[in-house]
Amino acid sequence: MGRKLFLELENCIGCRSCLAACTQCGGHDQRNRNYVLDVNPFVNRQTMPLMCLHCVNPACARSCPAQAIQIHETGAVLSALVEKCIGCQNCTISCPYGIPKFDVEQNLMYKCDLCIDRTKDDIPPMCASVCPSNTLQWLTEEEIAEKQQQHEMENGKWVTSMPYLESETNVKINLPGILQGKEKLF
Amino acid sequence: MQEVRETPVAKKYNLDGAFASHFAKSMFLTVSGLFILSLIGTRMFTHIDLNLYGYMVGTLVFLGGFFYRFIAWGERPPAKLILKKGIKLLGRRSTPKTSVEHLATYKFIWNRGIFRWTQHFLIGWGCILSCLVTFPLVFGWMYFTMEENGYYTVVALGMDIMKVDAEGWIAYLFYNALNITAFMVIAGVCMALYRRLKNMQARAEQTFMYDFMPLYLLLFISITGLLLTFSNVFLHGFGQPTMSLIHQFSVIVTLIYLPFGKLAHIPFRPMSVFARNYREHYSEQSMKECRVCQSEFVSTEQSKDVIDVLGQNHLQFEKEEGFHLAELCPPCRRKYRISRFSGIPTHEIKVKEANQNAKG
Repeated sequence: MGRKLFLELENCIGCRSCLAACTQCGGHDQRNRNYVLDVNPFVNRQTMPLMCLHCVNPACARSCPAQAIQIHETGAVLSALVEKCIGCQNCTISCPYGIPKFDVEQNLMYKCDLCIDRTKDDIPPMCASVCPSNTLQWLTEEEIAEKQQQHEMENGKWVTSMPYLESETNVKINLPGILQGKEKLF
Repeated sequence: MQEVRETPVAKKYNLDGAFASHFAKSMFLTVSGLFILSLIGTRMFTHIDLNLYGYMVGTLVFLGGFFYRFIAWGERPPAKLILKKGIKLLGRRSTPKTSVEHLATYKFIWNRGIFRWTQHFLIGWGCILSCLVTFPLVFGWMYFTMEENGYYTVVALGMDIMKVDAEGWIAYLFYNALNITAFMVIAGVCMALYRRLKNMQARAEQTFMYDFMPLYLLLFISITGLLLTFSNVFLHGFGQPTMSLIHQFSVIVTLIYLPFGKLAHIPFRPMSVFARNYREHYSEQSMKECRVCQSEFVSTEQSKDVIDVLGQNHLQFEKEEGFHLAELCPPCRRKYRISRFSGIPTHEIKVKEANQNAKG
């Protein structure tokens, strides 16, 4: 138990399998809640996935007047409770990563819930279970620590997560070393 | 050093000064209001149905819980903001239309699915109509008298409103109003239970206390209520006194529980009208331009409010580039994050995000 989503950003090949898989998660209603973005579209084909990072102190929930965004015991920041969401869209404005989506017709916000129907039983979320390039991984704390240790350089160049995020998150990220002028040895 | 505090000066004629707390004030005004309405409705307490006094006590306990829960909730910074501004904007011309769509016809639930709409409509209107029948009877705001044989006079707030034929169809609807609403609620609750057993997302997130309890309570009320009619019609009133106590118990327990669980969304829901007015009004005033791509994405007021609220929660998203993250439109905010990961100023490259919506 207690595994977490881990992103190795430079592995992304832009296949968008994670987006397609997201649509198939129970309750996602055939709509994906994650993103794959071009890094430098006029120069190369590098892409990176972006999804809710499940902040430990989530800005979306803090700015919600209705307390509609609940935090699951696993740490996942859930999508808005349908009966509470009043459609003010504060969450879409406050999220530092621009993740929540809003459905005007249904007057309802929806966002990545880390496939809570799966992850609560330690089954990887849809996106991680289909990722063909190991960009999205579902790892234990020890595995993540090992990964991070392996990537730490003495010159401090290969840094993980925090300085590049706004606050502590439940989803862990490995910054792309290649893009920082480091070569990764597979 | 000791903090110097301003001594509160009791102002003359200030209502707030008369009460120890917000809670005390709300409670006092509401109970007084109920008392005065009952005084008028029952023609100076000459027509009060003391059979129903249990419901009266239950309502008072409910009010205590209700004010406790919602005053505490209204102190949260984002809730406080939207409450204050929402009340000011209630005079908007679109308010009646928004209110009907949000609170009566549930158009937004229709857009979530016809099954869910039907289920919600049955439970929602079943409960609302039941309350509209029950509470006027409990507090004596409405009662029936029969002066000439065969005709009931409906008295509402002490005034004779209409005479109805005791055998007629209107009277039939009056007698059976609670039976009809009970069937509505039972049908709706069964649909909701079916969804909770079948829908995978619901099954993953639901808990017994939050999602099932309210449904079972509504079922408890409706079935014990219907059993009262059953015992009257088919059993010559056998077991009626006991059953009426059980029914009363079920209603009171639900009332006390109401402000604390899922059912709390009933008194809370008018907030969605506030939110809609808030967004519409301030969008007409002025729109905020994204600090990167200059597209208008939210009202200036809301952007400012969100930044305030985040500040009160000690979430500071000011960046060295000179903007607050809440001043960027969501696509630019995503690209900005990619730029933080990669070191390439992705957010300044003027290309729209491509292929973001997978077709499931």
